[in-house]
Amino acid sequence: MNLFQIIAELEKVDPEIADRLSHRRSALTALGNFGKKMALAAAPIAIGSAFNKAVGQNTLTAVNDVLNYALLLERLEYSFYNQALSAPTLAANLTSGSAARGAIETIRTHELAHVNLLKAALGSAAAAEPTFDFGTAFSTYPTFLTFAQAFEDTGVRAYKGQAGNIPRTLNPTVGGTQVNLLTVALQIHSVEARHAAHVRYMRRGAAAGAQTSIMPWIVNAEANGAPSAVYGAGNPQANFPAENNLAQGGISSLLTGLGTTYTDADVSAAFDEPLDNTTVTAIARSAAKF
Amino acid sequence: MSNITQKGSDEAEFAKPLYTPIKRRSFFMYAGATAGATALLLSGCDDDDDSVTTPSGTVNLGMGDVGVLNYAYALEQLEAAFYAQVVSNSSFSTTFSNADERTALMAIAKHEAIHRDFFKAAITQAASSQIIPGLNPDFSKVNFSDRNSVLTTAKTFEDLGVAAYNGAGALIQNVTYLGIAGKIVSVEARHAAYIRDLLSNGTFADNTTVDTNGLDKAMTVAQVLTAAQPFIKETINGDNVGK
Repeated sequence: MNLFQIIAELEKVDPEIADRLSHRRSALTALGNFGKKMALAAAPIAIGSAFNKAVGQNTLTAVNDVLNYALLLERLEYSFYNQALSAPTLAANLTSGSAARGAIETIRTHELAHVNLLKAALGSAAAAEPTFDFGTAFSTYPTFLTFAQAFEDTGVRAYKGQAGNIPRTLNPTVGGTQVNLLTVALQIHSVEARHAAHVRYMRRGAAAGAQTSIMPWIVNAEANGAPSAVYGAGNPQANFPAENNLAQGGISSLLTGLGTTYTDADVSAAFDEPLDNTTVTAIARSAAKF
Repeated sequence: MSNITQKGSDEAEFAKPLYTPIKRRSFFMYAGATAGATALLLSGCDDDDDSVTTPSGTVNLGMGDVGVLNYAYALEQLEAAFYAQVVSNSSFSTTFSNADERTALMAIAKHEAIHRDFFKAAITQAASSQIIPGLNPDFSKVNFSDRNSVLTTAKTFEDLGVAAYNGAGALIQNVTYLGIAGKIVSVEARHAAYIRDLLSNGTFADNTTVDTNGLDKAMTVAQVLTAAQPFIKETINGDNVGK
């Protein structure tokens, strides 16, 4: 987690919002003073949680900020698959003509299309492209697929977490065609979920790590070897619950509140959960340097 | 209150505010401010539930956000009924001889039943007078003992569900409801990908559902209902959903 980066991002937030939310400004000031008095790197978690509690979760407000956030995640995913497809360590598993290589190529094609679409939507407001270092993610085939699952499931949660930040009446012209931005975001979101489902099933293979009971959907908050934060709660927890959440839409427990008895596993799997951008970015930075 | 139970134009006029679907913000104000009066009116109208079902068997989904919720409820009813029949079919274990596939299909059946029951509870909670009734599915064209017939129908329903939620998102005014639609649509997409891979591995997001911009389908209410109508005995009217 790069705290300086997150603070820098927050400072870029629409000044009107900062004015409206005076407690946010004072939280920033407090954080600034705190930062001067001690080495930030020595206590990132303490500061991070204080920051989250004071300011909240989704620090993105302007639509371009949301789009650049999506662009960053899509670039990360595209780079991840692009690097994987040429990684010598994965060549034996991603052989030309194999179902596995075909699936990863399909996913890479979609991620690139998402990158290009978001760049077109942002125009000159598109952020510069970082370089991504995925460390040991490609060391083995099972490791690669575990990372892939983490990125896809996180991507699904990330888009879901921004749905309320995209005005439903925003209809910009992208590439000569007028589109509804919220609809486009939803159309990307469900493609990421399809990717996640397939990658999860790829992990069942003997050479892929033999996760023989993994499902295409998320059961409880089971991470299956991925970082637990991918399936954990965001901030605030009430808005961004962990994937094992059993309460929806004012019904406190779907186990018993629906007139028939369902299991935790089925109820949790029937609903995916959103995640705030601060938590998503922290997860991404724990998995890749950029 | 005796005039409420009278048949005729007086009743229709008196009950009009109830039968006129209420848009988002005003709905909640209405529900809060006039809860007592509404409850009285509803209790007087208990056996007069034809506000959504006309004598001809047409089910009107209604307007605004409640219309969108009813729309989702209708589709989830269809999916839940379908999978319930799949997993309860006497030849289920031979039609699907792979135990892992049976486990997954039984899980999907539960997810869809949970979605259906959730919408029933949520609409009852938010707008009990406007909830659509239980629908009668028509699966006469599905051979539940044939793997390909079951999976092809499942694929139709799952892809349709994804496209329906994707298309309806921008119709939803209440952010909480939008969030719930988002929580459900990605699960439907996971189902769709799985079912597609069962039919042909690697088709989880092929070019029959994802376009060259990397976008899944988004369909209008009218497009979705046209595709779903052959599987529902009642005629569904979604003309005012989200309006």
